[in-house]
This record gives sequence, structure tokens and C-alpha cells, in this order.
Amino acid sequence: MNTHAFAALAHIPILVLPVGPIPRTVFEKYAAEIRTFDSIRLGDIPTGMKDERARFMPNPLSSGYLYLSYPSHPAPPRHMSLSLFRPSHFTLGIIGVAACSSSYSLTSALEQFDKTVLDISPEGSTFPLAKVCFAFEDEESAGSTGLGDTLPGIVSIPSVMGNKKLYIGTLLADLCSHILAELGRVYHVLESPIGNEYLNSALFPTLPSPSEMPLSLSSGNLGYPSYSSQPELDSSGLTTPGIQIKRSSTAGPGISHTASLIQRQSTLGSPAVRKRVSAVGAVSSHGRLYKVLGDFFLLAGRTEDASLWYAEAIVLFKTGQDPVWHASVLEGMATVFVLDAWSAGQGLQSSVSNNSIKEPWADIYEQLSQAIALYHKASVPSDLSQDHSLLALTYCTAVMRQTSLLFCTWSTKGWGALAFASMLQPGSTSYTQRTTSDSSWTNLERISIVSGVSRSQIANTVSQAHGPWLLHLGPHERLTILQSMASIYSSLGYRRKEAFILREVISCIMDLIVCGRGENDLLRKSDVGSASTDNRSENGDEVSIVGKGAVGVRQNEILEGNQSILKLLVRACKVLGVDLEAVGVAKTTDGTSSEVGGRDNGGSAVEDLERPVDAAKESFGWPELQVGVIREAIAVAEALPDPLAVARISLSALRTMHSVLASSDQYHLYQTAGRALAAMRRRGDAPAVEYWAGHPIMSIALLPLALHRMPIENPFSILTAKSSATNSLLSGITDPFLYNPRKTSGSQSKNLIVQGEPIELTITLRNPYVFDLEIQSISLSTTGVEFESSPVSALVIPPNTLYPITIIGTAKTQGTLVFRGCIVQAHWGAPREFLLPVSTDVDQNLFARRQSAVKCESGRTKYWGLDSRPWEKDERRLSTPLPSLKKPPQFLQCIVVPEQPLLRIRWTSLTHGAVMLYNGEESTIRLTLENISALPIDFLRLSFEDSTIGPAQEALSEGGLSVFETYETEYDLLHRKAFSWRNEKEITNILPNQKVVLSVTCVGKVGCAHGTVHIAYSQVNREHEEQVPTPEVFYTRQLSYPVTVTVYHMLECHDLRLMPMVDVNYDDIGSRACNSVIHLLPEVDDPTEWCLFAIDVRNTYGLPFEVTFEREQAGTQNAAVSSTVPPGSMSCIMLPVKKFRLADDQISQPIPTLSDRQFVVGKSKLSIEEEQAQRELFWYREELLKIVSARWKETNGDRNGYLSLRQQRLTLPMLKALRTDMVQVDLTLIVDTPDSSPQELDYSGGKYIASPNEMLYLRVEVANSSLSPLAMTLDLIFDPAEQVLWEGVLSNMAMGKLKPDETKTVEVPLCFLCTGRFEIGAEVRIMGAMKNSRAGASRICISVREDG
Amino acid sequence: MSHHLFLLSPSDTPIYSLTHYSTKLPQPTSSSLSSNLPTWSTSAFAGTLTALSGASSATQSHHVQGGSVRMGGGQDRHVIQMIANASLDVIEDAMRKESAMYLKSVDKFNEWTVSAFITPGNMKFILLHETKNDDGIRSFFHDVWELYLKTMLNPFHTAHSPIRSVVFDTRVRASAKKYL
Repeated sequence: MNTHAFAALAHIPILVLPVGPIPRTVFEKYAAEIRTFDSIRLGDIPTGMKDERARFMPNPLSSGYLYLSYPSHPAPPRHMSLSLFRPSHFTLGIIGVAACSSSYSLTSALEQFDKTVLDISPEGSTFPLAKVCFAFEDEESAGSTGLGDTLPGIVSIPSVMGNKKLYIGTLLADLCSHILAELGRVYHVLESPIGNEYLNSALFPTLPSPSEMPLSLSSGNLGYPSYSSQPELDSSGLTTPGIQIKRSSTAGPGISHTASLIQRQSTLGSPAVRKRVSAVGAVSSHGRLYKVLGDFFLLAGRTEDASLWYAEAIVLFKTGQDPVWHASVLEGMATVFVLDAWSAGQGLQSSVSNNSIKEPWADIYEQLSQAIALYHKASVPSDLSQDHSLLALTYCTAVMRQTSLLFCTWSTKGWGALAFASMLQPGSTSYTQRTTSDSSWTNLERISIVSGVSRSQIANTVSQAHGPWLLHLGPHERLTILQSMASIYSSLGYRRKEAFILREVISCIMDLIVCGRGENDLLRKSDVGSASTDNRSENGDEVSIVGKGAVGVRQNEILEGNQSILKLLVRACKVLGVDLEAVGVAKTTDGTSSEVGGRDNGGSAVEDLERPVDAAKESFGWPELQVGVIREAIAVAEALPDPLAVARISLSALRTMHSVLASSDQYHLYQTAGRALAAMRRRGDAPAVEYWAGHPIMSIALLPLALHRMPIENPFSILTAKSSATNSLLSGITDPFLYNPRKTSGSQSKNLIVQGEPIELTITLRNPYVFDLEIQSISLSTTGVEFESSPVSALVIPPNTLYPITIIGTAKTQGTLVFRGCIVQAHWGAPREFLLPVSTDVDQNLFARRQSAVKCESGRTKYWGLDSRPWEKDERRLSTPLPSLKKPPQFLQCIVVPEQPLLRIRWTSLTHGAVMLYNGEESTIRLTLENISALPIDFLRLSFEDSTIGPAQEALSEGGLSVFETYETEYDLLHRKAFSWRNEKEITNILPNQKVVLSVTCVGKVGCAHGTVHIAYSQVNREHEEQVPTPEVFYTRQLSYPVTVTVYHMLECHDLRLMPMVDVNYDDIGSRACNSVIHLLPEVDDPTEWCLFAIDVRNTYGLPFEVTFEREQAGTQNAAVSSTVPPGSMSCIMLPVKKFRLADDQISQPIPTLSDRQFVVGKSKLSIEEEQAQRELFWYREELLKIVSARWKETNGDRNGYLSLRQQRLTLPMLKALRTDMVQVDLTLIVDTPDSSPQELDYSGGKYIASPNEMLYLRVEVANSSLSPLAMTLDLIFDPAEQVLWEGVLSNMAMGKLKPDETKTVEVPLCFLCTGRFEIGAEVRIMGAMKNSRAGASRICISVREDG
Repeated sequence: MSHHLFLLSPSDTPIYSLTHYSTKLPQPTSSSLSSNLPTWSTSAFAGTLTALSGASSATQSHHVQGGSVRMGGGQDRHVIQMIANASLDVIEDAMRKESAMYLKSVDKFNEWTVSAFITPGNMKFILLHETKNDDGIRSFFHDVWELYLKTMLNPFHTAHSPIRSVVFDTRVRASAKKYL
């Protein structure tokens, strides 16, 4: 920013030039040494001039300073017109720096120096006023260069000199003295009337070229014979063309000092001149002259004189004729004010006391504002574009001066010594950078409060410089102004304004570059900018250099310049929320080494996992502006040309902003990037860009192996424990816990794949763009065991779609294989690994919570403005902390198991895998298996599955069944399996390529529609693999053979009845039982000992079946009844069954469960008695089903099978009929015959035949058939009782205690009073038992007839 | 004379923008500095600078002599947006320090004066205008605020989604016509 130092008006600019062959570093070193002198005490200036040149020489012992500045290049020739208006704009002195060695002599250095000076100083220029060349001696060639020769105009500095710095200081003071002297000469010319005329001739007047001067000057001289107090003025000296050389040639030590003369002149000079001028100057005002005088005094460091003359000038300018010069005077006065303040306050570091209410700088500010207003209003009389340009320049400079005042005050925290220092020598202090380096709002605002200057005030001030007039400026000035503005905005923390200006800076530079190419050839010779490359530091960004004033384009491709432009671009775009560097340059140039690329950016790949979350966040920025800057950025990068940058910018835009880009823009960007990358490749350098297209992998999934190939893990223990398998049917589904946390974790089973066998993975890719996304290759990224897969190449994903692809690969060894994700490579891009973790439930949960947290946040604004840019925001807190994904991501993991044998089913006995059975029929399925692998099989196990198992298990697990039903279901599952296999041949080993035949039995079971035969096989014993820890698991493969089963339900049994034989109406039987029960009846010896088993069998099928019921009962012969049941009809099967009685301890057992199910709560609400009854029923039924079994057979065919009776239920009456009573009661009617002993009455057809009015005895024999003694009572019931006469009591006859097998007889005499049918019943009750519980009963029927 | 209104969400995204051409005549504020501008370069990049520095509108105002109203397209929309965006710096600065909702002439850039209105929800209404019209702008902002609040009452409208309501647009235009 040194070009816009506040006190630039007081600076004597000195240009430091390299002369001759001097290495850049050496030059920089010496130049830096020279530049350390930013001020020279007035007292050090040699004042030896006597003539008019002594006018500006300092007073002896004066305490002021000369301020030096070292611009990097001279003012452009176009600014010549300013030479009188603003002398401080021009380089007043030139220092050449030469390195002398044995090969480069002083003479040649001087020659070269003179030539260079001629080159850079324009024709007819007043400046530079003085020049000197410093020849530094090389260290190695010390003493050999003939430095002893003193040539005028060149000063040699031997390398042996100790305190070079001091010497240089002296030399500089000398140079300054010359400059001051020359200022005096110039002023001398001006103060002549003709000079004054020239001075007032135009807005920005110049001294005419020296060739025109002499005459007029001499005539002017004639007009003022008494004017000069320096009579020895050699006016012709000015006229010589070689004036500069001559001037400098006289420079050197040894000039005598006459200080008293100068002092006199300075004190007396002004009134004298004023008087004279006012007397003579009738032609034009002397305002300008006084102003020039003030300027020169200011340069000479004599501020009192300067302010004096400025005041004079102001008075003359008050009339308003000359606003521009007026404004310039105001500027000068402001500078003087600051200089005075500086010299006043320099000693004390404390800030000047602000005793007044107004800020101390307010006056200066006012003055400058006035100046700016004057400049702004000033009209340009001529249409000369030159004047426009210069006016605009002065205007902008004035604005920058005003800004500088505020900015320096602000950045140095207030009006004080530091502020003055930074205003005078901005380069000398790094304080500004330090205070504003922390660009947080708080810090900046703190500075504002401390300094009393608000940032907006500075911004408003500096924004005055921005306007259309910038176009008037020359390229270099425009660049400088814009860059200074940007730098100030940046320091103020006004990032957006900075970005605005930076865009202009960039376009300025680019314009120069583009135009410069055209003019390149013309300007090649004047490429002097190489030595004076000024690196303007602007917050660390190096602004690319465009040579001096004109267009200087480097011939060589130094990348720094281009990179700096791009840096600027990136900085400007970032403010608008566009990250041009979102797509990085790949580190590896070798596109094929995916390994390195993949590992390196593993971290960023993980970051990408969270991208989907971020998508939910709101976007930042102004889309129209963003698209605009991107277009511009691409244009800049294309013009540089930097194809890599073009590609990066367009791809970054696509990546970060595709949601706001129009589709045409997306196409365009994609094509641009493609073109740029292709161009780069054509040139041979292939620094690939990183993968850019977001996160392309949506999912990765292992396709399940074919069922017959899938290995199944089994513990080794199942080889030893064989019996446990039987209960697996029932135990598998009985989980006693309602919620079992292990169940879910166990369900996520490991993926098992087999070594050496191919597997398939499906990768789903996504293209969020509107164009066809080309992907060069995709390969899997795995860790763990070696995995061989072929990458998929040259993919084209259609726009806006999900696109699945399949990759086939093979694991080479056994172990664990982890699929981390994919390595994706776009066209011309570097491969990039994308991780794809498998999310568990916890992760999903966390993810959902994160997402909802972000969503919750989206409506609110915790951070706004630039803080809400995505990359800023990510580092900050949300209002609630996001749950962090701490766990390392889990990836898709596979266990590669050793090679496994493979079986196949070669042949089966079934056609189409279907079997048709009648209910209960048994059939055999034969399967021929072949081992088609090279490994032997030494483990073979069959398991079965059918469609009845599932519903039954479900019913069981629901637990709604009663105990009895549960038993039935379980019995069905365990003992009546639809499929079974008896390994009769003990097949265990199948050698490679061997075939074996298995026979599976299949039983028809109603409800079974299909079933499966699972053949699990494996090679368990592997001798050659000696593993030290014996594996706990082994792997089997399973071959499944599905069977479609059709079971015809043809015979239905229902209505089971058990009747006491006593009640059987034998007449009925013949008609009802259409079977061969008749011939079995005779074997029933005692009807009370037997009961009749009857059941209805219905044929619901279309064919007749023969049904056979068999009885196998201990103590009786086996018997069978059979009957043919025609289609659609029903037969009643009857079979006598001998009554039996089960022991008490047997029937008191609870109903067993076949499984080991736990019963947490007994659901039955039955009373004890009811439960007792239920158990009794259960056990008697079980016994009955053991005794009676049923089979069926096709009437015309040989298919046969079992008929299940298990559906039948036993009821309490049936139980009574089946069970022998505890007490046997036998009723006999005995009649007294006159002749002999009493005999039994006639008994036929199940009844006694008696005559009325005959005396009979009823003999009741009670026998205790139980195992314990019983005390009993007997009740007799006659029916109808009115027609019977009897003796004694009938009820509650005490029988006494009967021991087991003891019999007691009671006789009751009786007489029937009429004919008819009577019944006599006897009931025995156990004493003390309940009223209605009888232990035994009997009944007889009597038919009373007249003479029967 | 034109006015440019932008409603900016806290993330600097415009959710509504309006360009209003007033029938009032612009006062001639030409400086000789901005007159007689050279066409200094023909490269594409020069155009950017010309536009951003405000030169294009300045030259145009020269060509169209005073009386007629500048109609659309004359001013580079992109530049207007850039200026509005850049003025956010000052606005944010001001809103941190002051609690006033209406920031009168908070920023000046090129020929534009920027006035802003900040709602409690951190929505920023930015108006670029060329002339002083303090009362009118204040009333206009209050109108827009009310309309904006009515729009925000819609539960389906979030702070970041653009306002596409026709009613809103018509009413804002009516208010602009009334006050500006």
C-alpha cells in the first residue's frame, strides 16, 4: 500500500535500479539495505549550494526529516503532465546498484547506468533530478576492480568497508542534497513570469521542452534583473539537453557549505518573492506558484515554510477559479498537519491528548473531504482524455489519502505516534498486519472503539474512490487503487466488498494479460519489469505482476503468477459461498495405482459418509451470483490458460452446486471440464483431478450364494450329540422370553463365502446430474484375505438415476474378507476410495437422530451471513450437539470358509418332484446323489421340513392350547412326521464322483402340501490341515429337494362311542353294524366285563376302502373287524373291548409334555376335581388307543395305510363304560321254588322274566375289586317303586368294611304287584365320600308277565 | 430511476427480489469524472470491470438524455446483485451494534445508496436507491415487512424458501408504486 501512503506528498521517491550483470539476490540485498533509510535528518544534508539551488536546503541544526520512499518503478510517461502539479509523484532520484568485479568495471557500469536512466526517463521530463550509481564490490574480487578510480556519478563501495550502512546513509544524504538543489533550480525557472505563464497555461501544466525554454527564459531574466539573489545562476545550464547528466556529474563530495546564505533566504525569501511577484504578476494568479513552492518545501521537510506558502495559495484560490489546484493545496496542508503532529509527538509515545471534543483528525478529514469534493466537481475544460485520466488519478489518490488517514488511525488503535508512523512510512511498521490479523468481529469492533474510527466510516470513505472514473485510469494505477481498496476492505473484515473489488482486480489483470498477448511482440524489448517485480503483499496473496504501467507479459511460463490469480479467484468466490477448490488435485499422477490413492484419502472418504446428512442443510449464498462468478472463474482460467484450474473449477461447481445449477449449465460445465482435461492429457501431463461426483456409491450388497452352494456353520458338538436333534422341532420355536436381545443380534448372521468359488456383489451407483456420467472404472476395495475381482470399466450412468452393476470375484484363501467400499475413477480423474459401512440398527438410529437434529436446525439461524457458509458452519456448534458417530464404521464382512465338497441330486424316483398319497399312506422316495467335487464327503445328515410343521409350531408357541391339545399337537409333530429317513445302509462317506442312493419315507398327513428334504453334507475330517486350535465350528453345505405332496383325505372317523355291553340291544347291532362284529360277540362272556367300541367311518373319497380295526388287549385274543366303506357312505364299526382299570397312581399323573417346554403360568382355571377327571380321561384314552388300532386298504388295489383315531375324544360316560368299577355289584333275582333250593329266575334277552305276585329275592353281591379296604353303603332303587313290595330299607344299607376281593351278599325279598317292565338298580357308595360319587352300580331289567 | 429490493435470508440467499422503475426523474448527478469515459479495452474481462465499476450505467445515462425513464436491462442485474450482496458487510456490522430495524442509507456504492431493514428473524430487506426518500422508504419497508410476516404465517413456508406468492408480489409492487 506504499503507493497510497498518507504522507506521500512529503516523500522523495528514489528509484533503485540494477545496473549491469548483477544477480537478483545480490541486488535485492543491496537494495534492501538502501531502503532501510526511510528518512534522513535535515541536519545530515550537506548544504553547499550557494545559488538558487540553496532555496530548499535545510536550515542548519533544524530538527526535521526528509522522508524517502522507494517506489519500484518510475511514473509512467503519461503522467508527465503532473510533474509540476505533484512532484512527489515522480522519482526525484535514481540510484543504480552495480556489482563490480574483475570482469565488470566501473566505467562500463556507469555507461550502462546512464543508458538505463535515459531509457526510463521520458523525453523532456523534468525528473529525475539527481542520480547516482553505487558500485558494490564483490567479495572475492576485492581490490582487483580498480575501485580506487573515482569516476564522477558513480560511487564505489569496497567490500572491505566495515560500516557500509553509515556510508550509504551519507551517500543518500548527498543525493538528497542534490535533489533539493535541483528543486531550487526548477522553482527558479517557474518563478520567472514566463514560467508562471507556463504554470497557469493548462489544468496540468508542464514545463515546455528545454529546447523552447532558453529564449523565453532569458527574456524573463531580462525582466527581473534584480530578482535573483544568486547572480551566478547559469540559466543556460537548464537549457542543455544533457542537463541531468551534467547535474549528476557534479554530484559528489566536496561541495562547500554556505549555510548562512540559505538561512537568510529562507526567512526573507517569502516576503521578498511575494512582493515581487505580486508587483509583476499581472498576467495570472500566483496561486499555483505558491502551491508549487509549498510542495517543494514539503518535500524538503520544511513544514513551517510549506504551510506558510500553502496558506498564501489558499487565499488566492478562494475565488474558486482553480478547484483542482485548490484541492491539491488542501491535501498538502493536511500532510503538513500530520508531519507537524508527528514531529511534535515523536518523542513521547503517548498519544496526543484529545482535549477537544472533536477527534484530533477531524480537521484533516474535513480538509481532505473538501479536497475530494473539489476534485469531484472540477470540470475538465478540454476534451483531452489525458486530463480526465490525471484528474481521476488525483481524485482517487485523494480518496485513498483520506482513507489512509482513517485506516491508519484505526489500525493503530487511535491517533498517536503509531498512527503517524504508519501514515508516514506504511512499510516500516507491521503493526497494521498485527492488529488486523485477528479478523473476528469482536476484535475489529474493539479496535474501532479504541481508535474512535468506525469501520463503516472507513468503508464509506474508501468507496468514494470506486466509480466509473476508474476507467479513466491507466491499467497500473487502476490496479493499484483497486488493490488498495480490496486490502482495506479485507482488513476491515468486509469480505463481500473485498470480493467485489477482487473481481475487478482479476478482470483488470486478465484484461492486461489477454491484450498483452496481442501486443507481446511489440513490447518484448521493453520488458524491464523483471528486476522491479513488486510483490505487493495483500494478506499473503501475491498479486500477479503486470510490468510497469504498460503491458508486461512474461515470456516464460512462471506458474506463480497464474497461481496467484487463481488464489485471488478462489478467495473472491469463497465469500460468495462457492468453493472452487472442492475438487482437489490428486496427489498421485499415476492414475492406475489405486492402492495409494485409496489409502491416502481414507479419512476424507469417511467424511463423505456424513454428506447425506449435510444435504438436508440449507444452501448458502446467492445462486445467481454464484453461477455468475463460476462462469467468470472459468473464463479466467481458460484465458490464463490453466486447463487444470478450468477442470477443477467446473468440477467443483458441479460437485457443490449442482442443486442450483440449471441443466444447461451442468452440461456446459461438464463439457468444459472434459475439454480441459483432454487438453491437459494431450499435452502429456496428467495430474488427475480427484474424483468429484459426490458420493456415487449408494449401496453394496453381497448377492446370496445359490442355496446349494451356501455353507452353513455348525458347531462340532452336533457330531457327538445325536439325540438332541429329535427335539429340535419343538424346542426351536420355544423361546421362553418375550423379548430376547440376543435373538436380534444373532439374526444378523455372518456372510459365508467359500474359498475359490466366485461370488457376486451388486453395487448401486447414483448419478445426481442431468448428464450422462462417465465412470472410467470401479473396483472393489477390500481388506483381509486376498480377493480377486475384475474392475468394471467404462460405465455410463444415465442422468438422475440409480444404476446397479454386478462385480464377480473370488476369494483366494480362507479367513475374513472385508468389503470397505469401492474405488471409483472418473474420466481423467484419480481413483478415489469410497467407504460404505454397513449400518447397524444403532447406527441407523444415530443417523436418523442426526438428520432430525439437522432438520430441526434448518428453520433457525444460529449463524448467519458468512458464518453460515457450509465450510464455516461445519466447524461450529449447532444449538444442540449432534450425536456423534464415534464408532468405527462397520463394513460388509464375509468369512471365507475352506473349500467345500459339492453334491448334486442326480436322479429321483419322483416325477416332477410330486408325490400323491392317501391320508396315512406310506411311500418311499429314492434320491441318487453324486459328489461332483474333488473333495470327499464324510458327513451326511438329512433333515426334513413339511408344511404341517409350521402351523403346528405356531400354535404351540402361541400357547393358547389346552394341555390336552398341546399334547396332541406335539405328538403329531414328533411321532407322525411326514418324512423320515432310516439310514439303513449307514451311508456316511461319498468319495469324489461317487453316487449313493437314499431312501426317504414319506407318510401322508392331511394338511401337508409340500415338504423339503435337506441333505447336509460336509468334509469334516481334513487330515492335511493341522490347525493348532481345533476349530469349534465346521461348515456344511445343504442340498434341498423340495417335494410337492398331495394328500387325499378319504376316510373320516367320528362319533366314537363306548357303550357298556349290558345296555347293548343285540337286536340293533345286526342292522346297524355292517361288519363282522357279529361273530365277535359270542366271545363276550360277561357283558359287565366288556364294553362296545363303536365308531363311524365315512368315506369322503371316490373309491371304496376297506377299513380294519384291530384290538390287541392283554387277556383277550386279538380280534379284528373290517368293513368296506363305499364312496360317500358311512359305516359304523363296532368292536367289543374288555373293560379295564388303570392304577390310581397312573391316572393321577399330569398330562405329559413331549417337549421340554417351560410352563410359566398354568393357564387352566380348572378345579382339582375337574383336573383329576381330565387326567383320567387322558390316560384311559391313551390306553384305549394302544388297544385299538385302525388300518385301511384300497378295496381294489394294494395301497394301504393307517387310520388315525387320535382325533377322537373320550367323554365321561364313555369313560364309565370303559372302566371297571371299583366295587362290583352283582344283582340276581332268586325265586324260591317249592321243591328245591332257591334258584335264579329265568334270564333271557338281557332281562329277567318274572310273574307278578310272586315272592322273589333280590340278591346283591358286593365285591371290593380295588386294592384297599372300603366301607360301603348300598342303595337300591326300584322303578316303578309303587308296584313293588319289599322288605326292609332300601337306602343306605350299611355293608360294612370290605377287604379287597371280599364279597358280601345282601338279600332283599320283594314282590312285583303287577305286570310290566321293572328296573332295579343298585348303587354302592363309599362311606364318607361325596353324595353322588358312587363306587359301583348295577342294574337289572325285569319283565313281569302273567305266566311269562 | 429505479429501485431494487431484495429479501435476503440469513444465509444470504435471496428469497424475493423486485426491480421497481419509478416515474420520478432522477436528478442529474453527473460528475465530470465519470464523463467521457474511454473504451479502454475490447477484451471480455474489460466488460466485467466496466460493469462492476458502474461505468456502463454511467455511459448509458449519457446516451439516454434525461427525460426518458431507463427501462429494464439498462443496468447490469448482476452488478446490482453484487452491490446488494456487498452491502451486507456494512449491514451486518450495523445490526450488531444497533437494534434499529430500519438502517437508513447504510451503505453507498457507485451511484447506489443502500437502505436496509432487518426483521427480528434476521431477514434482511435491502433496497438500492439513487435518491433520498427517507420517509417513503421507511413506509415501504414496513409494508413489505407486514406482507412478509403474512407470508411467513403459512406453516408450510420456511425461512429459506423463496417467496413465490403472487399476492405478495402484487402487494409489494403496489406498495413500491405508492411510496417509491
